[in-house]
Amino acid sequence: MSDHSQAGPPADPVAAAAEPQHRLSRRSMLRGAGASAAGLAALAVTGPAVPAVAAASRPAAPATSGARAAEGRGERISQPVVVHLRDVQSGEMDVFAGTSHTRLRDPDLAARLARAAR
Amino acid sequence: MSSHREAPEISKDPVADSTDVYAFVSPDQPGSVTLIANYIPLQGPAGGPNFYEFGDDVLYEIHVDNTGDGQADISYQFRFQTQLRDPDTFLYNIGPIESLASPNWNRRQFCTVTRAEHGSQQVLGTGLACPPCNIGPLSTPFYASLADAAVHDLPGGIKVFAGQRAEGFYVDLGAIFDLGDLRPFEQLHAQYGLNVFSGPAPGVNATAALNVHSIAIQVPVSQLTRSGAHGEADPASVIGVWTTASRQRVRLWDADNGEDVNCGPFRQVSRLGNPLFNEVLVPLGKKDLWNSLPPSDDKQFASYVTSPELAGLLPALYPAVFPNLAALVKSGAARADLEAILLTGIPAGIVPGFQNNTGSVLADMLRLNTAIPPTANPNELGIIGGDLAGFPNGRRVFDDVVTIELRAIAGATYPLVDKTYTPDAAAGEVTDGLTSGSVPSGYLDQFPYLGVPYSGFSTPS
Repeated sequence: MSDHSQAGPPADPVAAAAEPQHRLSRRSMLRGAGASAAGLAALAVTGPAVPAVAAASRPAAPATSGARAAEGRGERISQPVVVHLRDVQSGEMDVFAGTSHTRLRDPDLAARLARAAR
Repeated sequence: MSSHREAPEISKDPVADSTDVYAFVSPDQPGSVTLIANYIPLQGPAGGPNFYEFGDDVLYEIHVDNTGDGQADISYQFRFQTQLRDPDTFLYNIGPIESLASPNWNRRQFCTVTRAEHGSQQVLGTGLACPPCNIGPLSTPFYASLADAAVHDLPGGIKVFAGQRAEGFYVDLGAIFDLGDLRPFEQLHAQYGLNVFSGPAPGVNATAALNVHSIAIQVPVSQLTRSGAHGEADPASVIGVWTTASRQRVRLWDADNGEDVNCGPFRQVSRLGNPLFNEVLVPLGKKDLWNSLPPSDDKQFASYVTSPELAGLLPALYPAVFPNLAALVKSGAARADLEAILLTGIPAGIVPGFQNNTGSVLADMLRLNTAIPPTANPNELGIIGGDLAGFPNGRRVFDDVVTIELRAIAGATYPLVDKTYTPDAAAGEVTDGLTSGSVPSGYLDQFPYLGVPYSGFSTPS
């Protein structure tokens, strides 16, 4: 697929402002969609519950170290974060937050997510 | 249809399904160009209580290429925000909606318009009220003036409107999708031995009395063309136009809250430039892919233009009616006429006094020569009808694009590239039997040009 906006950056401030920004503080949950050792899983998470993933919502965040740094800061996120765990063995996962997408490789986090999804 | 439900995936997502796009020099404001993108096909006017609305979660865009590379140089982005006044009633309105600020109107929608150009973005307007749907004489009295109030003037001489309109595109869907029947000629159809038709019949406009949702913007020409554009012969006077709709990559149903959660980058799910391109030319297995790509990637679809499936079907469906077309198809000659019309624009020297060529990049875009003025007496057959201000020089709301494209595919335009070719007599006659007069609402003489939507009261489903 092509990028959304063929003339400009993917998201304008207005577009971002129009996105749902609500209810996350009430959604302290981890939701799984059938993770398996081989497989693909999609998990929606919120910040306080899984702070490690919060750092991943930043496009430039390095994988594991950035996540740990964020965890250490107790950083909160204010928008939905969805993790698509592509491969548990390699730890490859896609993290979607706001209008960003980050691909990470973090076997430890993948294993934790897979355990949580069982 | 032009692009209504034209691909398997987007047919399941009507809110993001583009149906038609128009680009023309505004007849009443000839220093400006009007761009219109329609979405949400085949709206039954009585479709309440949850009447039609744009998707708050969809990024709608109208793109302009002024450098001929099939990529957007300017994009007008449209985002919507819905507000619900009273969640404790099932009613769309609790009394007559006599103004856009009416407290009786329960579910309202507002638009934000942004211009994106080469990485920079400028918000042109926000909180722009959309009109309600046309419900009936009690709920939406004086609808025309109510909708007029939703035409917003923006800085820079721009006008914008986003809301329901009457469907202006006309086509005999019921016949065409019944194995290529064209009612005015159906007695000539092979009929698979069923002998259903014995004589000609008038066309039936399947989209009459249906509504769409239109995004219309009127922009001074100088804000669309690259600098220095001057005159009809100047390639810089030509712009390419198309629309897209995009959704965020992740859409999760939050059952606890009864709503979707969207996140991730926006990705294109719908595209439309020339009418019927994806619908009629691109094969079923590639339509969804086509919808996800920019025009600059259209080279991979060029063979479906230069060897269109429909050109081979016409002689088979109408035996002995298109013998010259049959021979042309059999020869394997590439349809350079269709390539020019749909993928590159028509170069200078082909049609006297006209060009809308954008260079060698094969890209499906409406191509509008902005220096060609509107005509006082338009011919809805556009250029093949001798009217240089009509399709495929952009597209006006009333242009008969079905007939124009049928005739072009039937070989009527092949002499533009091969003067030794004689089109079949039928190529200049073929039609689905409809004209702009088949649209009950008619059209407006001023922005946004598409007619007042049909009301649910007077046009029950």
